[in-house]
Amino acid sequence: MTARPQDAALRRGRRAARLRRAVTGWGFVSPFTILFAVFMAGPVLISLAMSFTDMRSADVRDPLGVNFVGLDQYAKVFGDPLFLKASGNTAFFVLVGVPLTMAAGLAVALGLNSGLTRFKTVFRVGYYLPVVTSIVAVSVVWRFLLQPDTGLVNGLLGLVGVDGPNWLDDENLSLPSLVVMAAWRNLGFQMVIFLAGLQAIPANLYEAARLDGASRRQQFRHVTLPMLRPTMLFVAVITTISYLQFFEESYVMTQGGPLNSTLSVSFHVFKQFGFGNYGYASAMSYVLFVAIVALSLLWFRLLKRKDQ
Amino acid sequence: MRGWTRPVAALGLATALLAVAACGRDAEGAQDEGPGTAVSDGPATGEINIWAMGAEGEKLSALVDGFTKDNPGATVKVTPIPWDGAHDKISTAIAGGETPDVALIGTTWMGEFARTGGLDPTPENLIKPADFYPGAWDTTVVNGTSYGVPWYVETRLFYVNSDVARKAGVDTPPSSWEELKAAITAMQDKGGADWGVSLQPGKTGSWQSVLPFVWQNGGAIQRDDGSFAFDTPEATAALEYYKSFFTEKLSPADLPQGALEPDFVKGKIGSFISGPWHIGILKEQGFEGKYEVWNMPTKVSGTSFVGGGDLAVFKDAKNRDGAWKFVSYLSRPDVQATWFQTIGDLPAVKSAWEDPALKADPMLAAFGTQLNDAKSPPTIATWDQIAAGFDDLMEQLVKTDMTAAEMAKSAQEQATSIGTGG
Repeated sequence: MTARPQDAALRRGRRAARLRRAVTGWGFVSPFTILFAVFMAGPVLISLAMSFTDMRSADVRDPLGVNFVGLDQYAKVFGDPLFLKASGNTAFFVLVGVPLTMAAGLAVALGLNSGLTRFKTVFRVGYYLPVVTSIVAVSVVWRFLLQPDTGLVNGLLGLVGVDGPNWLDDENLSLPSLVVMAAWRNLGFQMVIFLAGLQAIPANLYEAARLDGASRRQQFRHVTLPMLRPTMLFVAVITTISYLQFFEESYVMTQGGPLNSTLSVSFHVFKQFGFGNYGYASAMSYVLFVAIVALSLLWFRLLKRKDQ
Repeated sequence: MRGWTRPVAALGLATALLAVAACGRDAEGAQDEGPGTAVSDGPATGEINIWAMGAEGEKLSALVDGFTKDNPGATVKVTPIPWDGAHDKISTAIAGGETPDVALIGTTWMGEFARTGGLDPTPENLIKPADFYPGAWDTTVVNGTSYGVPWYVETRLFYVNSDVARKAGVDTPPSSWEELKAAITAMQDKGGADWGVSLQPGKTGSWQSVLPFVWQNGGAIQRDDGSFAFDTPEATAALEYYKSFFTEKLSPADLPQGALEPDFVKGKIGSFISGPWHIGILKEQGFEGKYEVWNMPTKVSGTSFVGGGDLAVFKDAKNRDGAWKFVSYLSRPDVQATWFQTIGDLPAVKSAWEDPALKADPMLAAFGTQLNDAKSPPTIATWDQIAAGFDDLMEQLVKTDMTAAEMAKSAQEQATSIGTGG
């Protein structure tokens, strides 16, 4: 009960110092924190809240004058035949597109890493160019290539006597056409990452494998692939996330048609926002968000290093 | 665990707050605001801000001098905005209360924007509904109140390759559904065309070509009580008629983009339905004078679709009276005629068609006649969505073995579940 006055002063001094430190710290992080809160976290939370209401575009002048409808919008999402159709299309795009792009990217990277030495840079630039080209430009050019009568693809097919189909206007071919285009466009990015991964594999591993009499195929199977695991995880996650949100391809090339065969979930969300169904579109975005998180976690689980 | 609780709690709080704050909609239902308050007499003053899209936005300044001559105290500032994104821009402006005074509004957006409460009802002392084509005027009326003025109109007719029609022995425009079918068949069989007609096989905007047939057959989109009428016998028969052009191989179902005009010029396609802009497109292709236009055939009526652009004044306008005076100036018959000569927009005001430039051209005269019997879709807030669903179903109707009755039933169910948006 005999608290000495010096102790109290000391404590007060310490508290003041701590406060000052805190203020300084928050001062330094405030530019980011404020921007993040206002332009990222805020809208994200508001859109989440919006997904529990029946908000429509007619409510913009009075956004709080809407009804709280609980999980109704989410229930509606899973009963929406177009959403189910779009989910199927998106699943196809991911399930076919991701392995296809990864296989192509890895193949090109392997080629550039071993065989080709002369025009390495030319090839690297060539494969990477589509990645940095505007997707709209790429889509427009591909639309020309895929024209039924005058397109280059059917022209080449015609040379070998095959009567090419109307790629983008055939219900069964439109989505695969878009997958191939996306794979072509994105393999450059994967190639660069895979090349880095390949170059990080120590040469003495191959040397040891060769001494043990491993064939090239065995080297690839038992040295290259296991060592590339982290790279593959990265590439798989990034590609899955971007393919789950595929939008521009169908927006520019097919407008989701024919018969909604290229309607993606993102495109459907986009259209619903356009129709002014803000609550419903937000709910759908969150369903897509959950799917993206779940698939990413799945990749981590699948490609986790065995020794960890 | 600690890292998780806070964000989750914050999220829960935000949701709960919103649930409480959102104490629900007012139960007013469909409101009828009645006509807008009268606009003051005398010339306009102050700055009038106007947003307009596309070519209208770029060229509107040409009309401003005439206005400022009569209203020396006023200045008009035109901001051209692209059609892409215009809808969102206007809706954001209404939400933020930062609107211009006047904007060009697509006719099918009127229902939605009027329901936000952001548009000013049309003042009766300045604008007379009877001056305008009735179908065009209807696009401004939401729940019984008019929220704007039709600025320009467009309607759909048949464009026909004269050469093909002559070879097929079709001298006069067909006047009934049977005659139309016979004429199109003849153009394909005798006229040398691969396709007698190119009708839109579903996809965006196809409702604008299909609904005229529903209207011609005495059908409607909504009944008088506001319920939808997509599954009536009249509508079903019209869909059946439309589909028959595809089942009888008179119209292509998968024409590649951009192939319509070249094929029409070459005579591969005998005819197609479109609006007045094709006059300009065909002129660019050097096909002027080698084609003719037909008005819609008559079943119960000879109705076509009317679209175009409306001018609306916003509730948040800083210069409301000036804005309405400018709108009223743009609706003057002589200004409407000048506007036609400036960019080719067809006048929404009936008396403007007395202008020699419009009267002398038989092609345009056909559009003028058609406008007297042309309808627009209902001004409900959800129309864009219902139309998009209808377009999807149209594509299924013409490309799959879906029957007209199935299509009508699905369209009815879809529209009913979307509703009218209050």
